[in-house]
Formats: sequence, structure tokens, C-alpha cells
Amino acid sequence: MKQFNEEESKYAASAKAFRANVTRDLGNEELRSNFRGAMDYLMAKRKDAFSSEDELEVLREQCKLIKQRCLAKLPHLLEQLEDKLETNGIKVHWAETITEANEIIAQLIAQKKGKTVVKGKSMVSEETALNDYLEERNVECLESDMGEYIVQLAKQHPSHIIMPAIHQNKQQVAKLFADNIDGFEYSTDVDTLIQQGRTILRDKFCQADVGISGVNFAVAETGTLCLVENEGNGRMCTTIPDLHIAITGIEKVVEHLSDVPPLLSLLTRSATGQAISTYFNMINSPRKEGEKDGPKEVHLVLLDNGRSQAFADEELRQTLQCIRCGACMNHCPVYTRIGGHAYGTVYPGPIGKIISPHMLGLDATSNLPTASTLCGACGEVCPVKIPIPKILLRLREESVKPKSDKPQVMQGQGAGRSNVEALIWKVWALVHKSPTLYALSMWGVTRFRFLMPKKLGGWTSVRTAPKPAAKTLHERLKSKQEKRAKQAKQSTNTASR
Amino acid sequence: MTNKSADINAISSKARGNILAKLKAEVSGADYDKLPEEIPYIYPEFSHEENLAQFISELEKNHAQVIQTTKEGIAEVISAELAALNITTLLCGEKCYGGNDVHRDVINGLDSNIELQPYDFSIDNNKELLFNECPAALSSSRCSIAATGTIVLWPDENEPRSLSLVPPVHFVIVDANKLHADFARLMAAEQWHDKLPTNVVLISGPSKTADIQQTLAYGAHGPKALIVLLLNS
Ligand code: SF4
Repeated sequence: MKQFNEEESKYAASAKAFRANVTRDLGNEELRSNFRGAMDYLMAKRKDAFSSEDELEVLREQCKLIKQRCLAKLPHLLEQLEDKLETNGIKVHWAETITEANEIIAQLIAQKKGKTVVKGKSMVSEETALNDYLEERNVECLESDMGEYIVQLAKQHPSHIIMPAIHQNKQQVAKLFADNIDGFEYSTDVDTLIQQGRTILRDKFCQADVGISGVNFAVAETGTLCLVENEGNGRMCTTIPDLHIAITGIEKVVEHLSDVPPLLSLLTRSATGQAISTYFNMINSPRKEGEKDGPKEVHLVLLDNGRSQAFADEELRQTLQCIRCGACMNHCPVYTRIGGHAYGTVYPGPIGKIISPHMLGLDATSNLPTASTLCGACGEVCPVKIPIPKILLRLREESVKPKSDKPQVMQGQGAGRSNVEALIWKVWALVHKSPTLYALSMWGVTRFRFLMPKKLGGWTSVRTAPKPAAKTLHERLKSKQEKRAKQAKQSTNTASR
Repeated sequence: MTNKSADINAISSKARGNILAKLKAEVSGADYDKLPEEIPYIYPEFSHEENLAQFISELEKNHAQVIQTTKEGIAEVISAELAALNITTLLCGEKCYGGNDVHRDVINGLDSNIELQPYDFSIDNNKELLFNECPAALSSSRCSIAATGTIVLWPDENEPRSLSLVPPVHFVIVDANKLHADFARLMAAEQWHDKLPTNVVLISGPSKTADIQQTLAYGAHGPKALIVLLLNS
């Protein structure tokens, strides 16, 4: 068994509370209508962006193969990336756990005596709960993506990986601003709200000592960090402060620069239906001699946090193809209804259900793979063709396998195993293997059907209890056949008379 | 402090060893020649006029203002736009100001009431100036992409990265003759993998966000207005 993740993240606890979270959020009508509206909007946008079905399918196949190639070469590409980045003057750090990543970042900031950090959107830094870690060390870490800023102000977490504040409507944001920002007068005008955010954050960009960002693609061939964004806060964080620290998962590396255009094209169109984002920012080095701006130091932190566990299994490795477009959650009937927070994990929705078990262990997340209707929408829209439904089934299997079964591919294997359930299936298998036992049990079930209880836990809370038929199908067919044979005999008798 | 930095180097090198060892154990013996062929989508070829039309329409869809003009006409266009916006200060590259650059004529032809602010300073002690006293900026561009309505900037010491980012209004000069069909073909044609500068930025409109209830708002953090001066001769 591979060892990682010694520390229990705060997300593990909230993932464990999945069922309670779902009950809480399903009952919140405002939340449900916010998600419904947003998902309908995003689905329509994506549909409009792919006018040619043919182009979409060719691109998906191509991008799937690109990501699979890059994963097949992953360790070599990581070394090449490190080599190129260091040649370009960007320092590379490695972290197996979230605590290691946070510690590296905290120390890089401390070395520069940094006090104020501005952060561009980075889900990996959410994964490591970096803000809390830095705050405990007296470093102010301000989110600068508008959605993230709102979420931080509300002391919440992102409910969507692309649109973090999608669970709030403008009235809620207006109230949040009025309650928390001095001098802001309640207004639901979105322009006014954004301009308010802009004013505050521009001041922060101007003052910050450190900028932290994520990475969408890290190109091994050239040592390039690529960032996709619309707002310009990513450019601010990576251009204005003296120190830029980028953090990303090890799966974000691509081999060639030429791998980027098809991936970028699918990413933005799948995510928000845009042909391209407003900005595509390609960072190759810190400020060079004679240049007038840009950070003097650039660092990249490469985080594992369970990814190498997924990597070790051929089927589960496909999870790492993900380019974090969010399309799977936009099209997920479960996500749309329960919302992003119910999952309790950093990454919600279908991708969250298949990646979180590697990050938090199946112990904390064994409920997640079961929270799916297996309708298949996620797999159909995924731009890199991750077979999400299949992986969900596989994770269900891993979570009910006996704890001791070898080989162990997942931390927390067997965490979802219930002895009663296991016993039921054992008996079921036994009965179905022996014709005598099968016939006997069927006879019993039909003859004693009046013993069927009226209440069957959750099943009967919204349904009536099932009742076995008076006779088995076999018996009915048999008697039907006998009746037919008798009739046939009678008619031949009459005819011959 | 020395102690601490030794710490992170120790964390990092241990993590590096473990991660790479785990990954390598899984790919040992992999035959990279046997990977399946990746077939790209072949986009149709368009004429220059069609590409140009696409470029303009995509930019306009994304709320950029596209003004077709000539080299001689730029100064007048900028002057008029600035007057309409009630702006009298324009930040521009140092060389432009010095007058030994292609934009010399532009600079010289601007209305006399427009005050030029050359970007001849390091950002280090001048952030306030950049953020608070530069309402508009002028930059050139390297080339552009038709399919997505994208302008490619290749910032350097003359036209720094923040020139196209911090001032709320961004004028950018685009030469219609340097238009590429799409990003993939541009990279290949210009051999980007051989040499990239500190930073390359692709811009496809003014800064925007839809983070509040999917309602588009412009001017989130970067320029609120992107005014494209398209030289088409
Ligand atoms: S799993 Fe696929 S659809 Fe979901 S976020 Fe990742 S790339 Fe997008």
C-alpha cells in the first residue's frame, strides 16, 4: 500500500458528512434555483460553441490521446519540465502532500518577508487549503478572481471549479457586499458590484508582495506555464508582485507546445462556450535584465496528493487526463440538484467523485461514487473522454472489496463495505449457483410473500413496498405450457374425429 | 532563515525522489513508439478576406472595438477616442516616445492636449503611478489569430507586460497582414518552440467576468475597453 496523506484535511470531514449535506442543500430552494439557472446557461453555451459535431468528436479523440501520451511519459516529462524551467530561471519544488506544498509556499513567502498575497484562481491551492495555512502564519491571502473573492468574503468555498460563486445570486452578493464592505450601498446591479470588487482588488494588486496562481498547462518542451482566464487577475498576480509562486498537480504537464492549441480550444469551449478565453498567458521566465516589470522570482510547486496512486492503475489513471473544464458537473443531474457544496470536497460533481477518493482516501469518500445515476452525461461531454461512469463503478467496487484483498490500489479500500450487504450478496450468489437452492428459495419467497414487511427503510419513504408475486415466472410459464399442450391435444382429438 | 530554506529543499528533494520513483515504476518498459496516432481536425482553408472578417467579428462579439485605419490615420483616431472618453494621458512604450520606432508618427500626430507618459520606468517604485495615473495605454502587437479573434502580444523592455494590463483603456495596433488562421498554425509558422520571450499573452477582448449570476460585466481587473486599430492596406 502506498503511503501518503498522513494529515486529515478539513475536506475529509465534510466529505464524510455527504448524506447530511445533501439533505441540507436539497431543501434549499434558492440554492437549487441558482444551480438550475447556471447549469442551463452553461449547457446552452457549450452547445452553441460546438456547431460541428464532427469537429468536436475529432478534437475529443485527439485530446484524449494527447493527454494519454503525456501521462504515459509523465515521469520523463516532469524531469524535462523541471530542467527547462530551471534553465529559464524558474525554480521547481516538489510536494507529496498538501502540508508539504503549503510549507514550501509559506517558506518562500517568509524568505521574502512577504505579508500580503494576491491569489489568482487555483483549485490546487484550494486542495491544499493554502489560505488557512498562510493566515495562521500571519500572511494575508486575498482571492482575486471575482467569484473566489465573493466566496472568500462569504467565508465559503467554491461550489464549482470554473465559476466559484455560482451558488449565489446577485441579491445575495449585493447583501454580502453591503454587509462587509465599508461604504458600499446595496445594489443588485452586476456592473456596480464588479466595479466595487475591481476597486478593492486593484489596490491589493498594487500593494501585494506575492502573487500565487495555478497552471492550466505546463509545457515540458519549452518550460512554459500557461494560464487561461477572462478577468486579468491571473495576469495581475503573475506580473505585478515581486514574487510569483505557481502551484499545480503533476498531471498538468504536456509534452509539446503544439499540444496546447487543441487542448485550449476544447477547454474554453467545454467550460464556458468561449472560442478562447480573454487572456491566454504564457510564462517562461522571471523578469530578465533590462525588463521593467514582471516578478523577479518565479517558483513552481508540483503537487502529488494522491495523483500517483491513481496513476498506478491503468483504468484509474484516466482520471488524470482531466483538464478541469467543469463540463461534467454542468451536465450532471445530481450536481445540478444537490449543488457543489454538498459533496464536501474541493472538486465537486463527477470529476470530484473520481478524483477525491485519491486525495482523501476512500474512508472519507466512499459515499461519493454511489451518488450517481450512471446516466452517462459526464462521460459524453468530457473533452478528454474520461469514462467517468466506468470509473465510478470501479470505485464502488474498490470501496466494498474486503479490506485485506490484494492488490490494494486505493487508500481506504473496503471503507464502504457493510457486512450485512456482503452477506446478502454471498447468499444471493450461493442460491443462484445451485438450481435446487434457487427453486427452493423461489418457492419460499412466493408462498410466504405475506411476510414481506410494509416498511423497508429509505426505499419505502417515497415508494410502496414491493410484493413478490404469488407464483414464480417459471411456474407460470410451466402451467401455461401445460395448458397449451392440453388444448393442442384436445384440438387434434377433435380434428381426427 | 538559512535553516528554513534548507528545510524546503529537503522536503522537495525527498518528495521529488518518491514521486518520480513511483511514477517510473509504473511506466518502466513502456514502448513509446507504439502510441496511437493522434489525428488532428483539418480546418478548412479560408482566404485572407474571410479570415479578416472572422477576426473582426470574433473581436466585436467579445466587446472589443475594432477601427480600421491606416498608419497615417492612427493618431487622429486615438485623439478622437481619447477626447470622447475624456482622457488626456496616454501611456506608451519608451521607444515610441523617443521617436525611433514605427509609432513615431502616431505619437507626433496626437492632439496637443494629450500628455504622453512614456513607460520608461521600472515598475518597482512606480506601481502607484501605473495604477492610478495612467488611464489609457497604447501598444503594438506581434500578430493575430483569425479563428478566435485573438491578438498576440510579445512584451519586451520597450513595451512591458503591464502596459496592456493595468491602464483601463488599451489601444492596440494590429497589422492585418500578420493574420494567421488559427493558433496551431501560428505556432508552427513562427516556430515558437524554439524561442519564447519572458511572457507571451494572447488577448481576445476587454477583461470580463460572468462570476455574478452569469451576467457578463466588462473591466473585471484588466482593461475595460480594448480598442483595436486595424491597419489594413
Ligand atoms: S472530467 Fe472531463 S468534463 Fe469533467 S472537468 Fe475533467 S475534463 Fe472536464
